[in-house]
Amino acid sequence: MLLNRDDWYDTSRDLDWTFTYVEASDAFPARWSGVGAESADAWQAWDEPFRVSYRDYVRIQREKESGVKAVRSAMMRAGVYEKLDAGHVAASHLHMGTTCMVEQMAVTMQSRFCRFAPSPRWRNLGVFGMLDETRHAQLDLLFSHDLLKFDPRFDWAQKAFHTNEWGVLAVKNFFDDIMLSADCVEASLAASLTVEHGFTNIQFVALAADAMAAGDVNWSNLLSSIQTDEARHAQVGFPTLAVLMETDPARAQTSLDVAFWRSTRLFQVLTGPAMDYYTPLDQRKMSFKEFMLEWIVNHHERILEDYGLKKPWYWDQFMHSLENGHHALHIGTWYWRPTLFWKPNAGVSKDEREWLREKYPTWEDNWGVMWDEIIKNVNDDRIQDTLPVTLPSLCNLTQLPIGSAMSRHDLEPHQLVYKERLYSFDSEISQWCFEQDPERYAGHRSFVDRFIGGEILPPDLGGALAYMGLTPDVMGDDAYGYAWAKDYVTAEAG
Amino acid sequence: MALFPITGRFVGDFIPHLVAVDTDDTMADVAEKVATLSVGHRVPMPTDPPGYEVLLDDVVIPESTVFGAVVAEHDLMPLQWFDVRFRERASVAT
Repeated sequence: MLLNRDDWYDTSRDLDWTFTYVEASDAFPARWSGVGAESADAWQAWDEPFRVSYRDYVRIQREKESGVKAVRSAMMRAGVYEKLDAGHVAASHLHMGTTCMVEQMAVTMQSRFCRFAPSPRWRNLGVFGMLDETRHAQLDLLFSHDLLKFDPRFDWAQKAFHTNEWGVLAVKNFFDDIMLSADCVEASLAASLTVEHGFTNIQFVALAADAMAAGDVNWSNLLSSIQTDEARHAQVGFPTLAVLMETDPARAQTSLDVAFWRSTRLFQVLTGPAMDYYTPLDQRKMSFKEFMLEWIVNHHERILEDYGLKKPWYWDQFMHSLENGHHALHIGTWYWRPTLFWKPNAGVSKDEREWLREKYPTWEDNWGVMWDEIIKNVNDDRIQDTLPVTLPSLCNLTQLPIGSAMSRHDLEPHQLVYKERLYSFDSEISQWCFEQDPERYAGHRSFVDRFIGGEILPPDLGGALAYMGLTPDVMGDDAYGYAWAKDYVTAEAG
Repeated sequence: MALFPITGRFVGDFIPHLVAVDTDDTMADVAEKVATLSVGHRVPMPTDPPGYEVLLDDVVIPESTVFGAVVAEHDLMPLQWFDVRFRERASVAT
């Protein structure tokens, strides 16, 4: 008679070794596990709620794969992609180029959990996490390969992380830090608890809903299928936080506060413009801010409260950034559109602008006045005045443009000297993150650092575009050929 | 004579730029180099342009001052932040 799972599960996942000819600290170095000898025993209490066996895992994943591939076949036959709105298509290019290789990086992170996590239960779950992330990267590549015949931008699902495109460098910088370089405990708090449990909801729930509304059933189905895995393996963050609250609560607070801000900034560029500008107006479900408040902010506040942590000291500034950061990144990415591998929708036609005003009462004063100048140039046939001639200054923490965290009214210098070099930051918060561990961030050279260091030749915007690997067939331009600006010609003439 | 990179913000724009300034430039030259990246692009040019002024740490630098002298006096490092604004708006908050 076969035993029930509960009869053998605890024994199987607790399988561990008693070391006799090496020290435990050699087999599980603190540099990789994140655990010092002083707290090693505390990790025996680490527990997870999923109780997944390999047999169950394979059965469920097989069903998911069948579902995704059935929809994929049907949608490809129906020629759905060719009928999609150009603004929505930009969101899929952005997602595939910036996310696919993050999934692959997550395989490495999960494999570190498999080998170095301080609990055998966690190491056991790491195996499933590693298989999850392999599946996600492969699905992104498969779907992008299907669509490559329609647009070479889908090649960037694989290519982007092998280029020096500035936005991709920002994404890589963050995930190199929290996935590839961090120890298990740090990675679990930053990647599992903060990014996967919190912020991926924006990519995989909000974008999935918008994609479904836009008729992109295939992509929506892919995103939803991936999210079911993320929701499971992200749970390793909770028992990790529980143990850390017993052993080093100050470390937990700092790690989460840094990760939460860095994640916020990244998703302001990855998802904010896609939700509030690229998605066709009649297909939008929620604004980026509304989704953040309901799905991210409330969740994060609850976690902090449940585990006895304080809100980050920067909470009021974070809330102000929710009003502004992604609008700054949108006007910035649109203006510097030749530096993108997707075609952004300006998203400021009269109707769209009314929606923006309703969702963001300060939008006109903070952003509308600058769009007015751009619209005037477009309608006066001075497109060259809506294009960049130099680089924006970049933050040495987030690698994103300075000025893209708050509104233009809040813009002020945040600079410090560390080891005889001047570092610049997009906010007081990013500077604080840097100051928590300067050696961790100081060595990285931003795109601007590379430019003034002579690595980008010729030293002009053309040289920068070549350095980024951008070719005319994928280089960004306005998604609708400026048709949205005609709204304003009619009004002026009338 | 040497190029020196600064972080140049035109007050009213949302983003500062990487600007290459020559140590022989006057502050009037610096102002022009920073302003030309914002004014007429995202910041409207006033109907009666009042000219520009350059600020370092909120202090206006006389327009005839040579940039290299400012660098030497304040021992500035590459990417130092400078503000440029319309002269008539000197006392108006952004």
